[in-house]
Amino acid sequence: MTAFPAALLPLPVAIPLVICAAMLATAHLLPARLPDILATLSALTVAVLCGVIAVRAADGPLVYWFGGWEPRDGLHLGIGFSVDEASGWVAAFIGLLYALTFVFAWGFFDRTHGHFHILMLLFLAAMVGFCFTRDMFNLFVWFEVMSVAAFALTAYHLAESGLAGAINFTVVNSLAGFLMLGGIGLIYAQTGTLDFEGIAAAVARGGRDPVVAGAFCLVAGALMIKGAIVPFQFWLADAHAVAPSPVSVIFSGAMVSLGLFGLAKVSAVVFGASDQVQHALPALLIGLGCFTALLGGWMALLQRHLKRMLAFSTISHAGIMLTGLGALSVDGTGGMLVYVVGHGLVKGALFMVAGILLATQASIDEIALRGLGRGIWPAGIAMALAGLLLCGLPLGLLDQGTRLIQGALAQQGHGIALVAGVIGAALTGAAVLRAAGRIFLGLGPDPGDEAGAPSEDEREKANRPLWLMLGPCCALLALDMGVPAGLIEHALPRAASAFMHRPVVDAVSEGPGWLPWASVAAALAGAGYGLLRNHLPALLVLPVRATQSAPTRALEALHSGLIGDYAAWLAVGVAMIAAVLAMA
Amino acid sequence: MSVLPYAVAAWLFGIGLYGIATSRNFIHLVGCLGVCQSATYVLLLGLGYRWGGIAPIFYDHPPGTPAVDPVMQALVLTDIVVGATLTALLLVLTIQAHKRGGSLDPEKLRPMRAGGTSGRGQGASRVSDREQSTS
Amino acid sequence: MSPRVRIALLALAALVLLPGAAEVIAGLPPFGSTIAQYGERINAITPEARHVANMVSAINFDLRGLDTLGEEFMLLAAITGTVVLLRGRRGEGNTGHAMRRPGRAVIPRSEAVILACRIAGPLTALFGLYVVLHATVTPGGGFQGGVILASGTLLIYLGEGYAGWRQAIHSHWLDALEGGGALLFALCGLVPMLTGAAFMQNILPLGIFRDLFSGGLMLVENLGVALAVTGGFTQLFLEFMEETRAADEAEEPGEESA
Repeated sequence: MTAFPAALLPLPVAIPLVICAAMLATAHLLPARLPDILATLSALTVAVLCGVIAVRAADGPLVYWFGGWEPRDGLHLGIGFSVDEASGWVAAFIGLLYALTFVFAWGFFDRTHGHFHILMLLFLAAMVGFCFTRDMFNLFVWFEVMSVAAFALTAYHLAESGLAGAINFTVVNSLAGFLMLGGIGLIYAQTGTLDFEGIAAAVARGGRDPVVAGAFCLVAGALMIKGAIVPFQFWLADAHAVAPSPVSVIFSGAMVSLGLFGLAKVSAVVFGASDQVQHALPALLIGLGCFTALLGGWMALLQRHLKRMLAFSTISHAGIMLTGLGALSVDGTGGMLVYVVGHGLVKGALFMVAGILLATQASIDEIALRGLGRGIWPAGIAMALAGLLLCGLPLGLLDQGTRLIQGALAQQGHGIALVAGVIGAALTGAAVLRAAGRIFLGLGPDPGDEAGAPSEDEREKANRPLWLMLGPCCALLALDMGVPAGLIEHALPRAASAFMHRPVVDAVSEGPGWLPWASVAAALAGAGYGLLRNHLPALLVLPVRATQSAPTRALEALHSGLIGDYAAWLAVGVAMIAAVLAMA
Repeated sequence: MSVLPYAVAAWLFGIGLYGIATSRNFIHLVGCLGVCQSATYVLLLGLGYRWGGIAPIFYDHPPGTPAVDPVMQALVLTDIVVGATLTALLLVLTIQAHKRGGSLDPEKLRPMRAGGTSGRGQGASRVSDREQSTS
Repeated sequence: MSPRVRIALLALAALVLLPGAAEVIAGLPPFGSTIAQYGERINAITPEARHVANMVSAINFDLRGLDTLGEEFMLLAAITGTVVLLRGRRGEGNTGHAMRRPGRAVIPRSEAVILACRIAGPLTALFGLYVVLHATVTPGGGFQGGVILASGTLLIYLGEGYAGWRQAIHSHWLDALEGGGALLFALCGLVPMLTGAAFMQNILPLGIFRDLFSGGLMLVENLGVALAVTGGFTQLFLEFMEETRAADEAEEPGEESA
């Protein structure tokens, strides 16, 4: 029998599942608003339960054995959940993000008998299960449930570009699932167990073993695909840009970073004792992370489709998270966990602003929207604020995560990663601020004929009041800025050490205080350049234009939207991981 | 001979990926994805096999008879369900993409294409009939 | 990227991966020599601990029941997604009756086909039930049996024609079957918690080894899976079938899914 706090562990997964099964069973009987209410309430319940679990887990991880199959003679027979403080808080954040998204999407999807809510609740349950589990195969099951729900939600609009994006997303992420399953098969054959701790113990006994390295290569490849790390990032822009806005909020705010969360857990807990893996990780994660941060930022700057811009900015920030992970230290991983939450809040708010524009102005094209946002200026303030937070305004959770990652990188002498992270953040911030300036202030050159967006018309459910959509957006931003920094500073060393199964460290280091300001200044300069290019002297403009044209064309040619290209890049990425592992 | 099952698994995954990379038809592509997935079936069942082992069902044989690994069999069962769900979803997407774009060729059905410094599709403006209605 | 470049990239990746794959294969335990400790242990203790003969069912519904719960809901997600994506275009309203494709001739069935289907239909359903019920003693289970039951309904289509099939099959019932089955499974996890046991702990009497009614809670979970799979797959057939009936160029759809 399990004592009180641990007995809560199955509930955040079971409650959404029960609600969505009941909703499906009675689908045609439900009155119109009931799915909205039920879904919001269950997401809130999940958030509260996860919060309680996280508080209770402060003294040590809570463990729960399903079916009462506790380990016997050191052998793990059943599936266990093991929740440390950090995993609990991440799950609580996800629950809250869902609750606010359901409010944002209020009335968005009526007429579908709650099918949207069923898929979203399944998505939520899978994410919580993914955070809590301590079993390799169970991790895969939740990974797949997450993927399947996401595939269906992406194509919800049934527009042509949406369908092609959804197919690319489905194929690439299915391949990720197969890779992961292959890795799980290998590690199971070698260690004879599926439990995280059991595998870790067997790996520690085994010494250098190509099978363990091979298993890590496959599992890490799969999680990096989910986490949109270069060269696996292609699916993300296609999928995020076309998914309905509430779904994009979840995709960017939670799903992508959960891939990296899983990678952090697997590499610290399961493969923590493999010297080969631990030697390979810094080079691998920091190298890929830097590249991802820069490429995502650069691509974001080139977009005029707002959601696609935000999607590339998510790629850039995923790269920054990966560099934090690559420091392999408690501060780096702790910073990455804070960054996951902060980034989710800010990016969720930005996608909500994009949704507001789609609903009220019937367009998502930056150029076409020039000056059209004046009537909804509160959304403009939210967007500008979120843009500033994104590029490093020293305020709130996202900034705290950034500084912790920077501190860890500086301590270990990864100067290049530090610079790449700052530039990536500045580029994404510049893109968002430029768009905000153009849409809400009417800055920038008059587009003339260019204004007609060369794309399908997009419009999302227009009959929702502005405050209903803006409320959750502001709540996310307030949450990002409102969480007291002292609280995190106090709890983080303990929580991050427990997350990584390492001895507790006393304090965590933070990066230099001027770096965020440099990033903000660079972002403002970038946005200003984008908007006021016509007023600047030609001497300044021409060289910039000349240097950016060739790499820009090459990058855009790479993001071809062809699934064949993506499959080839996927193979290259896995080969890269394998090569780094082989050299370690 | 003892490496043959694993080699087959690796080959299946590779050839499936080659198929996906070069496919010019979405239905063919879904088939190739299935080939990739069969690699995981072969790998898992191969890893759980034991010469002379019976199926892990102790009805005709008494408990204690050497049997193959039941865990791998259970994992493959889950994997099969994954395969069924993915195939169903992908075929639905393919049907809808075909209806929308009139083609099954990935080259002709690209998502938003990048192009020009504006960074956004040069695809002609296709006003779709199912965009958000004003009703 | 031209196909040639793509293949070159793939070849490059293969060149790097092949030595690694060879090393991994060489490092694995030789094929067929031994099985993992976990599986060995389950084979050893489960017949006695749970009174069931089929180890795979014991793992799916008891030891690793949570995986199956996730798997069940994955299926539910896929089918819900399929329904949404296929209906989105047709609209929700016209799923109550059989649609007819204009201009397509209705070819009458031969009596032999009708007779064969009327004989094979009940037999298939019986076989499906048999497979469902014998989950704990023979290679069967709710998933396999559910798929057989669902394909049995296709024989109604073959024998009675599309309109007959649509009269027999109602989308709402399928939703209820699918959601109800999944709900039953999820409740099998929660109800034991009310008695103070763990999630999905087997608290029912275990029955006699090799008996049809052995395994306790596993039987109820198995039933839930069978219901959900039957409902789900029939729903899948229904939606795909309806797709073949939809006109190619639908007139302005009156219903919106989003």
